[in-house]
Amino acid sequence: MLRVEHLTKVFPDGTVALKDVSFEVKEGEFLAVIGLSGSGKSTLLRCINRLIDPTEGKVVWDDKDVTAAQGKELRRIRRQIGMIFQQFNLVKRSTVMTNVLTGRLGYAHPVTSLFHIFPEEDYKRAHAALERVGIAEKADNRADQLSGGQQQRVAIARALMQEPKLMLADEPVASLDPVLAHSILRYLETLNQEDGITVICSLHFLDLVHRYATRVIGLKDGELVFDGLPTELTPEKFKEVYGEEAEIVTVSGEKL
Amino acid sequence: MGKRRYPDGSPVRESRGNWLSPFLSFVIPGAGQAYLGLYARGAGIFLSVIALIALILWQGTGVLFAPVLGIWVWNVWDAWQVARGRRPKFSIPVLLAAIVIYGLAFVSTEVQPQRMITGWDSMVPYVRALFHPELMEYATEDKVATAPIQVPCVEPLPEPDRKPTENPKIILDKKCGAVGDTLTLHGEGFFPNFEGEVWWLNPIGDAQRVIIDDKQAKFMTDDQGRFDLVITIPQAVPLSEQPPPGQTQTHQVRAEQHRPYGNLQPTRTLKLVWEKIGETVALAFLATILGMIFALPISFLAARNLMFHNPVTRVIYYIVRTSLNIVRSIETLMWAIIFAVWVGLGPFGGMLALMIHTIAALGKLYSEAIESIDPGPIEAVRATGANDLQVIVYAVVPQILPTFASFTLYRWDINVRMSTVIGLISDAGLGFLVIQWIRLNQFSAMATAILAIMFVVTTLDYASSILRKRIIEGKPASPKQNLFVRWGKWAIVLALFVVTFAWSWNVAEVSFTNLVTGLPSGMKLMKAFAVPDLLDRPTEAHSVRQPLPVPCGVAEAPQPPASGPRVALQPQCGDVGDPLVIDGYDLPPNTHVSIRWEMPDGSFLRVKSNCCDTDASGRVHLETKISPLMEIGEDSPPGSVGYVGINWEEIVGGPRISKTVKTVANLALITLLMALLATTFSSFFAIPLSFFAARNIMGDTLFGRIVYNVFKMGFNLTRSIEPMILVLIMAAWVGAGPFAGVLALILNNIPNLGKLFAETIEQIDEGPVEAIIATGANKLQTLVYAVVPQLVPPFLAFILYQWDINIRMSTVIGFVGGGGIGQQFRLWVGLNQYDKAGTAVWAIVIMVWSMDYLSAKAREKLI
Ligand SMILES: Nc1ncnc2c1ncn2[C@@H]1O[C@H](COP(=O)(O)OP(=O)(O)O)[C@@H](O)[C@H]1O
Ligand SMILES: [Mg+2]
Repeated sequence: MLRVEHLTKVFPDGTVALKDVSFEVKEGEFLAVIGLSGSGKSTLLRCINRLIDPTEGKVVWDDKDVTAAQGKELRRIRRQIGMIFQQFNLVKRSTVMTNVLTGRLGYAHPVTSLFHIFPEEDYKRAHAALERVGIAEKADNRADQLSGGQQQRVAIARALMQEPKLMLADEPVASLDPVLAHSILRYLETLNQEDGITVICSLHFLDLVHRYATRVIGLKDGELVFDGLPTELTPEKFKEVYGEEAEIVTVSGEKL
Repeated sequence: MGKRRYPDGSPVRESRGNWLSPFLSFVIPGAGQAYLGLYARGAGIFLSVIALIALILWQGTGVLFAPVLGIWVWNVWDAWQVARGRRPKFSIPVLLAAIVIYGLAFVSTEVQPQRMITGWDSMVPYVRALFHPELMEYATEDKVATAPIQVPCVEPLPEPDRKPTENPKIILDKKCGAVGDTLTLHGEGFFPNFEGEVWWLNPIGDAQRVIIDDKQAKFMTDDQGRFDLVITIPQAVPLSEQPPPGQTQTHQVRAEQHRPYGNLQPTRTLKLVWEKIGETVALAFLATILGMIFALPISFLAARNLMFHNPVTRVIYYIVRTSLNIVRSIETLMWAIIFAVWVGLGPFGGMLALMIHTIAALGKLYSEAIESIDPGPIEAVRATGANDLQVIVYAVVPQILPTFASFTLYRWDINVRMSTVIGLISDAGLGFLVIQWIRLNQFSAMATAILAIMFVVTTLDYASSILRKRIIEGKPASPKQNLFVRWGKWAIVLALFVVTFAWSWNVAEVSFTNLVTGLPSGMKLMKAFAVPDLLDRPTEAHSVRQPLPVPCGVAEAPQPPASGPRVALQPQCGDVGDPLVIDGYDLPPNTHVSIRWEMPDGSFLRVKSNCCDTDASGRVHLETKISPLMEIGEDSPPGSVGYVGINWEEIVGGPRISKTVKTVANLALITLLMALLATTFSSFFAIPLSFFAARNIMGDTLFGRIVYNVFKMGFNLTRSIEPMILVLIMAAWVGAGPFAGVLALILNNIPNLGKLFAETIEQIDEGPVEAIIATGANKLQTLVYAVVPQLVPPFLAFILYQWDINIRMSTVIGFVGGGGIGQQFRLWVGLNQYDKAGTAVWAIVIMVWSMDYLSAKAREKLI
C-alpha cells in the first residue's frame, strides 16, 4: 500500500542523497532500512512524509500521491503517519503531557489548540498512550527530566496519538543502550502485530534486523542495493551493503 | 475518617464557616486565608496590598487605587473559594499589581509621549546633522576683522582693553551701547563680492552668532570689498556676570570670510575627532591591561576553592569578594566623577575610573574561572608522575587561560564602549566632543563624533569577535613550525604591544603626582562617602536686624535694644562707600551666622561670603563699607529703608531621618521604575524585530538575505551608541528628565536585545520542529508548540540580564539629563556636599545588590 517510485533527491549543495529508489511496502510489514551513515536512510524516510521534498519520483500511499499533496491535504496525510527520531525530538521544556498532546495537533481545532486547549477525550487518549508505553506517572514532568529510553517512549506515545496507519522510525535506538533498544523495538513490534500498523524503521545492527524485521532494504550511496527477507541477508550480502571492511557487530557488541 | 485535603496535601479546615473567612478578608486582606490556615498565602496578600498602597500614597497618584480595590475584591472571593477547598491562581492579582506598578512608573518617570511630537522640531537639527557629518571641506583663505565695543555705556567711558584690527577692518558707529541697541558696521578690506558672517565675542572671548530675524547675520561685500550691516547688541553675558553698576565690559564684533581654494581636505572637526578616537582607544586599552594586571593576583584571593582551607584565608576571601562587589556596583561613570575630584578632569581620571571597575569585574570573573577548574585533568597529570609546576603548566593553565583571555576580551569590548562616554564626565575621548558640540549647537560636528563612535565600536567589536573565535577554537601551536618563525611572530606581537602600551600611557596622561597631590581631596570625598548623611535634626531660622538709612535722614535709625540678640551699626547711617562696623551681640555662641544687606524690596545679599562664626560669648564683628544696594533712590516710596540683618539656624528637637535619605529613596524608586519601563518596552519592540535578524527565519532568498543583513547591521550600529550619548539627544527632544532617560535606554536596548534574541532564534533545535510538522500540525501550531517553548526561557533570561544592566545604567544616566538618582548625585558632588552624594552611592549599592539578587533567583527558576 506504500509505493516508492524512482525517488531521487539532490540537495541544493549538489549532494545526491537518493538515486532512483523504488520499492513497495505491504500493509502490516515491518520493513528495516539498513545502510552506512550517509547512505540516505533519513532522506528516504523524510521523503515519505514530505519533511523533505524529493527532486524526482513519486511516493504513493493508500492510492494517494503524497508527492503531489499540498497544504491541508498534505497535513491530513501526515497525521496518519507517525514518526520517531534518533534524537527523540521532544520539546524539552514542555511537559510530557504537552508533548504527547502535540501528536493530536493534526486533528485539533486550529485556533483553540494555539492556547493549549484540547478536548477532554484527547487527554484520556494521551493517558492511555502513556499507560501503554509504561510512563503514565511522568505525565507532569518536564521532558528533559526523563532518561533517553523514557523520552523515546514519550515520542512513541506522541506518534500513537496520531492513530497512525504507518510508523516511520529513523534510527530510533541508535542513542540508547542495548537493553533499552530491545524494549523500544518491542513496543514497535507490538504496534505492528497487535494494531496492524505498518512500520518502516532504519536500523544499524544485524541482530536487531533478524529479530524484528519482516523485510529488509539496503541503501548504499543513495542506491537501493538489497531488497529481501531478513534470512536472505547473509554476512556476504551485509558486506555488500556496508562495504568490505565492515565488521558485523550485534547490538550488544559481539562479533558475528 | 481522614481530613479533606487540598491538592497539595494540606488539610482543609472545614469546621469553620464558609462565610467567616471572606468577611475577615474583606476587613483585612489576607486575614481570611490566614484564618483557614494558609498563613503564607494570607501574609503574601496582606503585604502586597500594604506595599502597593504605600507606594501609591508615596508617589501620590490616587487613580491607581482602583486596581488595588480590584485586588481587595479578588482577595475576598479568594477567601471564599479557599474555604470551599479550592485554590485560585494568582494571575488576576498579579496583573492588577502590574497595572499599579507600571502606572506609578509612567507617572513618576514623567512619561509624556506627546512631547515626542511637540519636541520634534528641536530634534530635527540633530537628525539632519547625522546625515551631514563634517568630513571633508575645501581649504579656505580667511579674512577676519574684529572691533571692540563696550556694554553698557558709562560716564566716563574708559579705553577698551582690546584694539580693532587694521586690514581688514570694521568700523562701528558707536563706542558703547546697551543690550538691544542697534549698531551699524562698516567693513573694509574684505574679499570683494563674497559672503561673510558676523559673530559676537563676549569679554571672555566666547563667540556666539549674531542673529537677525532668527538667522545668522550675513553680509555681502561690494567690488571694493566693503559692506555695511545693521545688527542689535545681543545679551552675551549671563546675568550673574554682569558688570557692577557704573562699570562696563569690552565685547568684540567679528566679521569673517572664508574663501575656499584648492582641494578637499579633512575638516578640522574630523582631525579633532581622529585625535579623540586615539584617546578613546588608548584609555580602553590601558584600563584593560592595567585592570587585568591588578585583577590577576586579586582573583586568587577571591577564589573559594583556594581560600577555604583555613579560617584566616577565609576571612580574606570574604573581604576581597565584598570589596569587589561594592566597587563593581558603582558604575564606571560614577567612578569618573570621584576621580575627577581626586586627580582633576582629563584622560587620567577617566582611565582610572575604567580601570578600577575593570579590576572589580575581571577579579570576579577570573575567580569564578579558577573555582570551576576541573580537578580531573590535574589528577591525571599528577598520576603521570609530574611535579607541581608541571601540573600547573599542563593541567591548570590550559584550563584557565582560554577563559581568562575571553573574559579579558569581553571586558575590552565593554571598556571601548565606556571609554566613548567617559568624556561626558572626564573631558577625554569622543564623548567629550559630543557633549561639547551639543552645548555649542554645532550639530554636524556632533554628528561626526557620533559616527566616529559607531565606527570605532563596531570595528573593534568585529575584531575582537574574530579573536575570540580563535581563542575558543584554540589553535595549538604546531611543533613542526620553524622555531625561528614562531619566536619571530611572538617578538612582533610583543613589540606591537609595548609600543601600544607606551603610546596609551602617554595619551592617558598618567601622572602619579596628581594621584598623590589629589589624595587629600580624594580621601575627603571617600570619607564623606563612607559616612552617609542618614540623620539630621530639625532647625528653626532666627534673625535680628537693624535699619541703615542711606543717605542719612531718609528714615529713622532707632537704637538697638539693650539686651537679647541684636545688631549694632557704627555709624548708624551714612553714604555709599562709607566704612561700616557691624557688631552682633548675645547670639548663640560658636554658631555659623550669615550677615546680609537686606533691601527694602525684600531681596538680600551676603555682606561677605563664607561669613561668619560667633565666638564663645555669642559675639560677631565685621568691618565693611556701605554697599550701593542700600542707597534709597529718589523714586523710592517715602520711609523705605534697608537693613543689616544677622540670620542663623537653631537646632530644635532630636535627630530624625534626614531629608537627604528621603530624597535619595524617592529618586532610587524613580530610577528603578525607569529601568522597569525601559526593559519592558524594549523587549516589547525587540521580540518582533529580532525575527528579521535571524538567518534561519529569513531564509536564503535574495529578499530574505537583504532584510537579514539590513536588520543585523542596523542592530550593530545602533547598539554601538551608549545610552549616555543617546540621552543627550533625547533630552533635546522631550526635555531633560527621567522620560528622556527611559527613551535613551529603550533605543539602546532594542538592538541589544534584538541581537541576543536573533542569535537564540538561530540556535533553535530543529528536531522538535520537524517532529511536530510530522504529526500534521500547521505552521502556527508548529510555532506555538515547537518554537515558542524553546525561545521563552532564553528570552526571559536575556530580559533579566538587560534589566540588571538597565538598573546600573539608570543610576548614571541622570549625569547628562536623564533624571533619576544620578542627576542628584552629580549636583551634590558639584556643590561639594559629599556626605549627601555618599548617601546616594549607598542607595545605589543597595539597589543594585538587591535587584541582582532578585534576578539571580528568578534566573535560577528559569533553568
Ligand atoms: N540538508 C542537507 N543538505 C545537503 N546535504 C544533505 C542534507 N541532509 C543530508 N545530506 C546529505 O545526504 C546524504 C544522505 O544523508 P542521510 O539521509 O542523512 O543519511 P543517513 O540517514 O543514512 O545517515 C549525506 O551525504 C548527507 O551529507
Ligand atoms: Mg540518518
